[in-house]
Amino acid sequence: MTLTLVMLKNFRRNPLRVALTAVAFALPMAIFVAAISMVVALNEASANTEKELRIGVHHKTSLVNPLPEGMRRKIEGLDPDRTRLTGVCGMRWFGGRVPNTQNTLTSLAADADTFPTVYSDTYMQPAEIAAWNKDRQACVVGMNPAEEYGWKTGDRVTLESTVPPYLQLEFHIVKVLDNPERANFFWFRRDYLVESLKEKGEDDPRCNIFWVKCNSAQSLRSLQKDIDALFANTPDETKSEDENTFGANFIQMAGNIPGLMQAMSVVVVVIVAMVAGNTMMMSFRERTRELAVFKAIGFQSRKVFQLVVGESLLLALGGSLLGIVPISLVLWLHPIPMRQMGPVGSLEISWMAAGISLVIALVVGLAAGFGRPTKPCVYEQQMRCGALSKD
Amino acid sequence: MSSAEIEVSQVRKVYYKDRLEIPVLDGLNLKIAAGEFVALMGPSGSGKSTLLHLVGGLDTPTGGSVRVGDAYLESMTERERTAWRSRHIGFIFQMYHLVPVLTAAQNVELPLLLFKMAANERKERVKTALTIVGLGDRMDHRPNQLSGGQEQRVAIARAIVTDPDAILADEPTGDLDAKTSDEILDLLNLLNSEFGKSILMVTHDPKAASRSNRIVHLEKGLLEREEINPVTVRESAVA
Ligand SMILES: Nc1ncnc2c1ncn2[C@@H]1O[C@H](COP(=O)(O)OP(=O)(O)O)[C@@H](O)[C@H]1O
Ligand SMILES: [Mg+2]
Repeated sequence: MTLTLVMLKNFRRNPLRVALTAVAFALPMAIFVAAISMVVALNEASANTEKELRIGVHHKTSLVNPLPEGMRRKIEGLDPDRTRLTGVCGMRWFGGRVPNTQNTLTSLAADADTFPTVYSDTYMQPAEIAAWNKDRQACVVGMNPAEEYGWKTGDRVTLESTVPPYLQLEFHIVKVLDNPERANFFWFRRDYLVESLKEKGEDDPRCNIFWVKCNSAQSLRSLQKDIDALFANTPDETKSEDENTFGANFIQMAGNIPGLMQAMSVVVVVIVAMVAGNTMMMSFRERTRELAVFKAIGFQSRKVFQLVVGESLLLALGGSLLGIVPISLVLWLHPIPMRQMGPVGSLEISWMAAGISLVIALVVGLAAGFGRPTKPCVYEQQMRCGALSKD
Repeated sequence: MSSAEIEVSQVRKVYYKDRLEIPVLDGLNLKIAAGEFVALMGPSGSGKSTLLHLVGGLDTPTGGSVRVGDAYLESMTERERTAWRSRHIGFIFQMYHLVPVLTAAQNVELPLLLFKMAANERKERVKTALTIVGLGDRMDHRPNQLSGGQEQRVAIARAIVTDPDAILADEPTGDLDAKTSDEILDLLNLLNSEFGKSILMVTHDPKAASRSNRIVHLEKGLLEREEINPVTVRESAVA
């Protein structure tokens, strides 16, 4: 026999209570892990949507009708203090394809200075932005052409335009995107296009679309109205559409639901853990006399205390793992598809949530051992002796 | 087989409860010879259990000194007293205080976990102790499968398995019927006479007390009087 065995045997004392305590840890912990995983997924989704809070401003008639490039300044003029928009990027359709191929890429000439900000979802790193700024021929390409033509960062590539005057331009790749939603894109600098057109004798610095990056769903709504109002009754009447109507709606609708959900999960799990912890403390207090007997036999207080803390830790951690492990495995191996529910693709395990719940279990287990009813009945001489002589 | 003289000198014990002083022992003196069996009597609340705890080093006196063999308890730390107790003292209680989830053998083995001892030597010792108390055939029974008398025997086996110098028994027959009490007292007499253990036994029962060599009466914090039991003294002298 070992002391560990003595400790384990304590679980046979009142199997029903042990089982209920374990379940009291397991269930809330499982729900907690699922809820926090959901919160993490929601936050990620809303962070993604937040990044895409963009308005596309194009000619009221169609995208094909170009707009004067000076409109960018006017749009920026709507919000000189930058309380609603973070940047405006003009773009011109290039319609380029690799010479001797048929596949036209979504190739666009973009304002060099604002492109990295307005398209922050290209995740350009400082070095890449620097290269983009320095090199007039810089371009950012999606993964489809990169894969198809074997392009990598640093390569020189050539595209020929499918729209008059059918320019053929050479570019220098500064980034290959790994974002599947931008797989077919090819962005390069508009100043390069404008100069190249000039060399061909065409002075046409116009844009097909201005992308306006906003800082919130609210700003997006108000700017959308203001921009169209600004150009109403001019030759260049505009139509402003947000890029991801759904995403913007979602943000507005969800408000602080993830935050609330998180707070609620934490409160629930902490309360239940406290109740379970209290049950454990009561079960120790009932055993004050037995613990005193260990002392009378000659066990050091520290040893008796280790038995107590070991037992409560084991129950708290064991019970919690009973809930955490299955839910984590399920969410990990088979993320629950949730497309119909909104921007969250699927509910996956958040290992952080699993980790936090284990930490909570650990803290409760320790607290039950160190708690007011438990610790003194091991360490207080008078309490011990009182328990022994109350025959 | 070991035995120790016990000397309690000028011991005072004051409990504090809600800042209230509860004086219990007030300069008490008691000397128990090595191998002597002393019964401690006295009204409820007179401090009998308290004295037992002080002798076993479970608690510390407010004043005075306690010596068991060559151990001066007041000069030891809590840890030292605990370690000392595991080797030199065996406690027996009225309600047995066995661990309910352990078998008889495991309960008896408990104190040996504090010793550096091979598993089979422990097993041997446990068997011997249980055989001495007459429960060699009940090793694997749990406390709730035993009668009160049998539980107390297991508790006695647990107290002697470490071969202590002294046995401190707090009303060991207080919860047993007359016949079972007799058997337990027979056992204590045996441990005293055959194994030479010093015994200090608290009891309310004059019949139980009459099994000892000497009866001391505790009252108002002091030993009021004592009686030598000529019969048992002669018996133990013969044995
Ligand atoms: N741990 C303790 N804390 C406070 N008072 C105690 C404690 N143990 C005993 N007492 C008090 O000390 C007195 C003597 O108790 P005790 O030694 O148990 O008496 P006895 O065993 O003779 O009945 C009683 O008044 C009791 O209330
Ligand atoms: Mg008492």
